[in-house]
Amino acid sequence: MGIAIAAAIAVFTGIGAGIGIGMATSKAVESVARQPEAANDINKALLLGSALAEATAIYGLVIAILIILFFR
Amino acid sequence: MITVENLPEKLMEELQPHIAFTIPLLEGIAVPQSIAVTWLIMLILVIPSMAVTRHLKTVPTGAQNYAELVVGFINGFVKGTVGQEWRVFAPFLGTLALYLSLANTISIFGFKPPTKDLNVTTALSIMSITAVIAASIRFKGLKGWLKHFSEPLPFILPMNILELFIRPLSLCMRLFGNILGSFIIMELIYQVIPLALPAILSIYFDIFDGLIQMAVFVFLTTLYIKEAIE
Repeated sequence: MGIAIAAAIAVFTGIGAGIGIGMATSKAVESVARQPEAANDINKALLLGSALAEATAIYGLVIAILIILFFR
Repeated sequence: MITVENLPEKLMEELQPHIAFTIPLLEGIAVPQSIAVTWLIMLILVIPSMAVTRHLKTVPTGAQNYAELVVGFINGFVKGTVGQEWRVFAPFLGTLALYLSLANTISIFGFKPPTKDLNVTTALSIMSITAVIAASIRFKGLKGWLKHFSEPLPFILPMNILELFIRPLSLCMRLFGNILGSFIIMELIYQVIPLALPAILSIYFDIFDGLIQMAVFVFLTTLYIKEAIE
């Protein structure tokens, strides 16, 4: 039971990634609407930013899996 | 099947490399599943490529059109990001993109995706960081490469050396974690609602997520290369 709760807490990192990617996407949509000709550059920056923000969520997942595996 | 009770055992089992078959040579060479699926992907990619590029024509017809479309797209992407020196890197990055896009989405045909194996993603990320270092040495010289560690400020040196290890680590963990995560989620959904819903969600988790991760991996590698050679 304790292990399950610990793993669940580790997965809370997803909150940060979700908020981060959401903010990045909303700003990207705004800037594409304002400057459609720069859409390509904005897309690249958005993809990079999302990948980096999402990495935290993945680390949370990896740590949750490690907790389940090594503290059972 | 994954259930709540046997989750740790199943997870451990999924993380182990499965042996697909054993080649009866010497003492028997065990071939892991990820290697076997990679060979299959190589077959899928290499045979049509050879068939299409057999008799190249100046004015393309039939299948050559599609091949040129793919190659042109990859070349255009690398040209747009790396800039002038794109020609050296386009083949490597294109192969990476083609392999990863098949490897990440092959689970829809019932195969285990090779990128779910940590060994495969580690090898891929070591390959990309080697390409980045090699590109840097090739275009800036050994001295220029060593010098870039102390730029922009000398006391940032430890950070720059750490970056050499953090980049491949995060590349490999990102790909592995995403593919494994979507695999676990799909297994749990099959467990709860085995009808209709998995088909819809598998479009997102198997196809969309796999292609996004392919794009991220290739894009980050391209970006690192661009940063390394300028």
